[in-house]
Amino acid sequence: MEPLNLKLSHVSKHFGDRKVLDDFSLDIRPGTVTCLFGPSGCGKTTILNLLAGLMVPTGGSINGFQNQRISYIFQEVRILPWKTVLANVLFPLNGLMPQEDALRHAREFIRMVGLEKEECRFPGQLSGGMRQRISIARAFAYPSSAILMDEAFQNLDRKLKFNILESFKNIWTKDRRTVVFVTHDEEEAISLGGEVIFLGHQPLEILKRVPVGEVPEGKWKNLVAEIYGQ
Amino acid sequence: MKDFFTRNRTISIAVIGLLLVIWELVSRITGARQILPGPADSITALIHLFGEPGFLSSLTSTIIRGLLGFILAFGCALVIGILSGLNPVVEAAFRPIIVLFRSVPVISIILLALIWFKVEQVPVFIGFLTMFPLLSTNLTQGIRQTDPKLVEMARIYHVKEWRILREVYIPSILPYLFSGISSALGFGWRAVIIGEVLSQPRYGIGSMMQEAQSFLLVAEVIAWTLIAVIIGYFFEGINRMFESKIVRWNR
Repeated sequence: MEPLNLKLSHVSKHFGDRKVLDDFSLDIRPGTVTCLFGPSGCGKTTILNLLAGLMVPTGGSINGFQNQRISYIFQEVRILPWKTVLANVLFPLNGLMPQEDALRHAREFIRMVGLEKEECRFPGQLSGGMRQRISIARAFAYPSSAILMDEAFQNLDRKLKFNILESFKNIWTKDRRTVVFVTHDEEEAISLGGEVIFLGHQPLEILKRVPVGEVPEGKWKNLVAEIYGQ
Repeated sequence: MKDFFTRNRTISIAVIGLLLVIWELVSRITGARQILPGPADSITALIHLFGEPGFLSSLTSTIIRGLLGFILAFGCALVIGILSGLNPVVEAAFRPIIVLFRSVPVISIILLALIWFKVEQVPVFIGFLTMFPLLSTNLTQGIRQTDPKLVEMARIYHVKEWRILREVYIPSILPYLFSGISSALGFGWRAVIIGEVLSQPRYGIGSMMQEAQSFLLVAEVIAWTLIAVIIGYFFEGINRMFESKIVRWNR
């Protein structure tokens, strides 16, 4: 599947009097990993929702995702409580591929997030972190051109989070999907490589775009402090 | 927790026992056992009923009428309730009808139904009109309460609309559906029996109650009432059994 080109041109998004975005432009090359990094409430989720087509901009234009498949890991867990772990991961796959392939594919990603022993359980029987891992497995398993992740790993313990990110990096080197993810965690921001876009307060502005590879290890904290002045 | 339920059950049984004692006492004190028979007389009348000709026919006729009314109400509610929940225009079109069904006194409907329908059909019609608005309103409510974020998620993943209906909306309305069935049956049995009392079909619990009442056989009226209560409990039990089997994820 062709990777997806994402582009926001002079986009504004107002909620009543509140201008979250005002003449904001962003271009993300297809097949790259981009982290939107910024303080809570600055409007990172709004960018993802605009890219996903879940929000209509007040002004400007958005290009790139029309009629293409995207995966989205929402900040809050959006899984079907009446379906088991396996059925939740299969939910978007059914009809896309033969049942046997869908099962094998779903199980591969359930194993990746460490839920293989829980595949027959309902979400209500699992912890919050486990439920979030179902969303992660579903998004990764879905054959999409792009993956959007909104603070997808915040409920996971550190070791598990980096294991999943490491596995995802391996998959990504093969399928090269466009990845846009939102976080306020410095360590997470650089974990997948690619580029980090530092965002400032509302109306949202790009403070700096930094390729992860250009900053020496151990210098990220200094860079973040320099950009945000603390 | 187990102790809590055991204690509550003991309290319920004690209250029922106390009511039975009061009933027996009042019956003895007044001395008018024909007007107010005691619990023992009523149970004896109940046992006698089992052997009477026409008992089984009356019992099955009432159950069949109730179930027919329920099936008709359920079928209509499924279509109208779900469409009303999904589309405000459909809801606006059907709201006045639902409100009308709920507001018109049952007795008015029965009097009109007696003119319009055959005696056998009147209780079914009354049952239908009582159960339909309860089921329909619950289904509409269930669709409205479906988490829009789950629907949004399904659309993001390009899941087809008919699958969203089947796999997102329908499961999310199930708890509302079972609660609607519970109240519909609760009111429905009573309505069917009232319909039978007034329309007097050949067989039916209501017809038997009316007959017993006209001969001042109070113990028999109470015995038929107990049978009606048992039918209600039985179908409520079936509803709960289905609910616990189908809505497994809530446990």
